Amino acid sequence: MSGECDLIVIGAGPAGANAALVARQHGLRVVLIDEQPDAGGQVWRAPWPGLARDANAPEARDGDALRARLGASAVDCRFGRRVWSVTSGYRVDALGPDGNEAVCAPLLIAATGAHERVVPFPGWTLPGVIGLAAATVLLKSHLVLPGERVVVAGCGPLLAAVAAGIVKAGGEVVAIVDLAGPAEWLKAFPAMASRPRLLARGMGWALKLASKRVPVHFRYGIAAAEGEGQLERVRLVPVDEHGAPCAEPTLTLTSDALCIGHGLVPGAEITRLFRARHLYQPLRGGWVPELDGFGRTSVPGLLAIGDGAGLKGAAPAEIGGRIAGLAAAHDAGRLARDAFEQAAAPLLKQRENLAAFADASAGMMALRPAQVAAISPETIICRCEDVPRAEIDAAFAAGARDVNQLKHFTRCGMGPCQGRMCGDVAAQLLAAQVGSREAVGYWTGRPPLRPVGFEALIGSFSYDDIPIPKPAPL
Amino acid sequence: MMSRLAAAASRPAEISFEVDGRILSAPQGEPLATALAAAGLLQLRHSPRNGAPRGAFCFMGVCQECAIHVDGVLRQACMTPVADGMVVELRGVP
Amino acid sequence: MSHIHDLGVIGGGVHGATVALFAARGGMDVALFERGPLCREASGVNAGTLTMQMTRVALIPYALEAHAMWASAGDWLGHDVGVVVCDGLSLAFTPAEAELLTFRAGKRREAGAPIEIVSGARAKEIEPGLSGQALIAGHCKVDGFANAYLTGLAFRAALIEAGVSLHENCPVAGVEREDGAFAIRTSQGVKRVRRIVLAGGVWIEPMLAWLGISLPIKTLINQLSVSERIAPVMRTVVGIANGLLSLKQYPHGTVVIGGGWQAVGDRERGGVELLPERLIGNMRLACHAIPALRQARMARAWAGLEAETRDALPAVGPLPGIADAYVCGSVHSGYTSGPYIARLLAEHILDREPAMPLFPIDRLLAPEGAGTTA
Ligand SMILES: Cc1cc2nc3c(=O)[nH]c(=O)nc-3n(C[C@H](O)[C@H](O)[C@H](O)COP(=O)(O)OP(=O)(O)OC[C@H]3O[C@@H](n4cnc5c(N)ncnc54)[C@H](O)[C@@H]3O)c2cc1C
Ligand SMILES: Cc1cc2nc3c(=O)[nH]c(=O)nc-3n(C[C@H](O)[C@H](O)[C@H](O)COP(=O)(O)OP(=O)(O)OC[C@H]3O[C@@H](n4cnc5c(N)ncnc54)[C@H](O)[C@@H]3O)c2cc1C
Ligand code: FES
Repeated sequence: MSGECDLIVIGAGPAGANAALVARQHGLRVVLIDEQPDAGGQVWRAPWPGLARDANAPEARDGDALRARLGASAVDCRFGRRVWSVTSGYRVDALGPDGNEAVCAPLLIAATGAHERVVPFPGWTLPGVIGLAAATVLLKSHLVLPGERVVVAGCGPLLAAVAAGIVKAGGEVVAIVDLAGPAEWLKAFPAMASRPRLLARGMGWALKLASKRVPVHFRYGIAAAEGEGQLERVRLVPVDEHGAPCAEPTLTLTSDALCIGHGLVPGAEITRLFRARHLYQPLRGGWVPELDGFGRTSVPGLLAIGDGAGLKGAAPAEIGGRIAGLAAAHDAGRLARDAFEQAAAPLLKQRENLAAFADASAGMMALRPAQVAAISPETIICRCEDVPRAEIDAAFAAGARDVNQLKHFTRCGMGPCQGRMCGDVAAQLLAAQVGSREAVGYWTGRPPLRPVGFEALIGSFSYDDIPIPKPAPL
Repeated sequence: MMSRLAAAASRPAEISFEVDGRILSAPQGEPLATALAAAGLLQLRHSPRNGAPRGAFCFMGVCQECAIHVDGVLRQACMTPVADGMVVELRGVP
Repeated sequence: MSHIHDLGVIGGGVHGATVALFAARGGMDVALFERGPLCREASGVNAGTLTMQMTRVALIPYALEAHAMWASAGDWLGHDVGVVVCDGLSLAFTPAEAELLTFRAGKRREAGAPIEIVSGARAKEIEPGLSGQALIAGHCKVDGFANAYLTGLAFRAALIEAGVSLHENCPVAGVEREDGAFAIRTSQGVKRVRRIVLAGGVWIEPMLAWLGISLPIKTLINQLSVSERIAPVMRTVVGIANGLLSLKQYPHGTVVIGGGWQAVGDRERGGVELLPERLIGNMRLACHAIPALRQARMARAWAGLEAETRDALPAVGPLPGIADAYVCGSVHSGYTSGPYIARLLAEHILDREPAMPLFPIDRLLAPEGAGTTA
């Protein structure tokens, strides 16, 4: 993959793949990189190569169409490669089957998507407890069920999607445990109705679940996950309208798989790496890069799109990708201003029409501060480093006022997930004491963007070829 | 119908691999984390300070809970397809 | 009129924090002004190596004293910075490196560092994790490392206990001489002090400019990377003859790889970018020394700023022509030697005779090429 091109797109989900296709249509030489074996991102994730598939699921259809378009295009697709370094220029280094590869381009689009937020509770680290989005990956890509008796818990539209997916595949959902109540769903309903196809799918899920008589516990959270070495029981607790427990745990369910998620967090690591300006926007999942209407960040030549630039969901990600593809073509001098504006106008309109739906579903997945505030002192926040809430509170008492200092004081966020799993909640815990999320900030972006193996990275080499700098003074 | 984890029987067993001396089988192309879970091996490692049991959590390459030794090198089981003859060790990361 | 402190220290790295601590313990009323949180620049992000084998020859006597201070940090600092005292090895892989090592180790030994040249085989006995490719090694029993990211936590508690009035997140914009005192313009208002110490790391150059002194300070942008936790692969501090590798494994299992490979950045923006080729080069060197590292993964890399004067010796002492004003910094391998050298300055300010000479900057202010030495 060495060499030059006009545009590099990192992430081949709906956002990145569409950006790449549009830019290519306007004559740019485009390299599209993703660490998955194929395009599709999270929502249109392809089944792993070799696994039998159900091509009729709507996501499979959309994903297959996208993969076909990419296949027919001259976009230079580089899949199975993990981007670990991005430096100015732009130079992108990715680790693939043949070791490290670098590619350069004057324009870069970050389309790295989002990862899951799980607000911690006792036992969330037990094997058998997995993310809600993780369950979608198992169902869509690994083609297996999460367990024999599954509890599906958390908040937002993924709850129903996962539960219905399990039922459809012949699995047993013991219960759906929803932080929200029917009232919140009703409030979101008019906005959701703005997208009939998706609403119909939601209704389909509901009917499927109803026909299997899957119990739904509205306004409940998970008090604890318990078991010897792996999950055996899930204890439920009623919550108030802010998501905080408001009574003693009432119900215990026997279960070998708990799928739980409380929304998504944008993976804005590339824009952070370049110190682009960011804003804290709870509805968009947290810290997101400040953008013009076309995906341009405050750093020249760097664009950010899709859920990684602020949660809006798959359809707006797709359109945002097309818009950024046009912007890149314009910035590269391949598309005159008039033509650019003309082509972008209908897309901007389309995206605007989707805004109400996007906001309604994002609203149900936004962080609930009261839920975070109610976490018990001994509950693990940072999984990698086993840091409990009590140590975060102690770090505040010892003087930590921003998240990077918190990290130094506690090792919270220093493990191999690089603070992705704990970052949002740890920052919220500190912010509650310091005063605001803005004041406590976010983890400094640094390479590698994801952990990379030394063996793969260094390859074979001879000692004499290492470019050792000249000796320090004696 | 999809198979359940811990109900390995319904999946075609195309290739075999070794986990801490045990021989397991799985369909070609299945991600290792899934193949292990299907064999009832949910617990992949222990947490560094408390020694608490841990297993795959995000299945999308983010949480790193599935990092185990594959042919001697630390890799994420959810991002690694099983391959014939693969040697997996759950000796953990201290 | 507002309260006047006996001493104002500007810059809360290991140098500023140590001067403040010992001055306060010596009875002074001290205020410390730090732009950000305490010890989050060089002093909080460095590799923490406490070694003689990378220390400049002229600083060896100081570094030996400083090593003893770190080893007993519990006694004088009172809070844990994760110090581990262990053997250190400086490796030579080629005949040219062997020659360089023998020469450099000899000079450092003359200056008092207990470094012995040993065979490659002996080195592998001392450090079973070695690849066995080293021809010879410098072996020093006075070596070890601290956990630099704990420095701020430890000093913060110690300074507060010592009664220092601590102003974090309080950048200083300038200093003026005023009625036999100094007026420090901070983001929290003007503070008045009788004596002043400029301890701003690479920022001592702009700080000295406040008082009309022009001292060029070179900014080194040092790159570091760290592995995730892995099973024990080494038990010593490992470097190479030319000083461009430093490697050790912390008790919790992570391995920190450094050695002063340069990243991109400057005093204004900090260490903004790490270059992939240099990260890979540094890693190759590390894996060449400790092959078991190959199994691990890199979890993070970062860069920090280190100061260097023209002669690469410290800027520590009174400011020429300005009574009651001092500078403290630009100490090579300054994390190792910082606490001792900064304590010497505190002694001087307290009117006690320091046990070893300071490093006044007069030598550096003479016109370039005038041939002055320290
Ligand atoms: C696990 C998961 C499941 C979801 N399921 C659904 C669902 O069922 N229905 C729904 O409507 N929405 C779902 N969502 C939301 C949906 O994913 C997004 O709205 C949509 O996918 C956003 O598209 P995107 O292009 O921004 O990001 P994504 O689709 O997430 O694509 C980002 C891509 O970037 C790649 N990438 C990231 N970092 C690197 C790197 N360093 N090197 C190389 N490649 C990299 C990733 O592999 C990924 O393929 C889900 C989200 C997640 C996280
Ligand atoms: C990456 C790296 C690795 C290193 N590894 C080692 C090692 O292994 N062993 C070793 O012995 N040494 C090492 N060093 C060197 C050592 O870290 C430094 O010599 C030492 O920490 C310098 O301390 P300091 O107090 O002079 O500077 P700093 O720690 O930089 O402190 C200066 C402080 O001044 C503050 N400041 C600046 N301007 C203002 C202002 N206007 N107002 C208020 N405050 C201000 C800054 O915010 C900063 O906190 C390394 C250095 C780096 C960068
Ligand atoms: S399960 Fe999270 S990284 Fe593999």
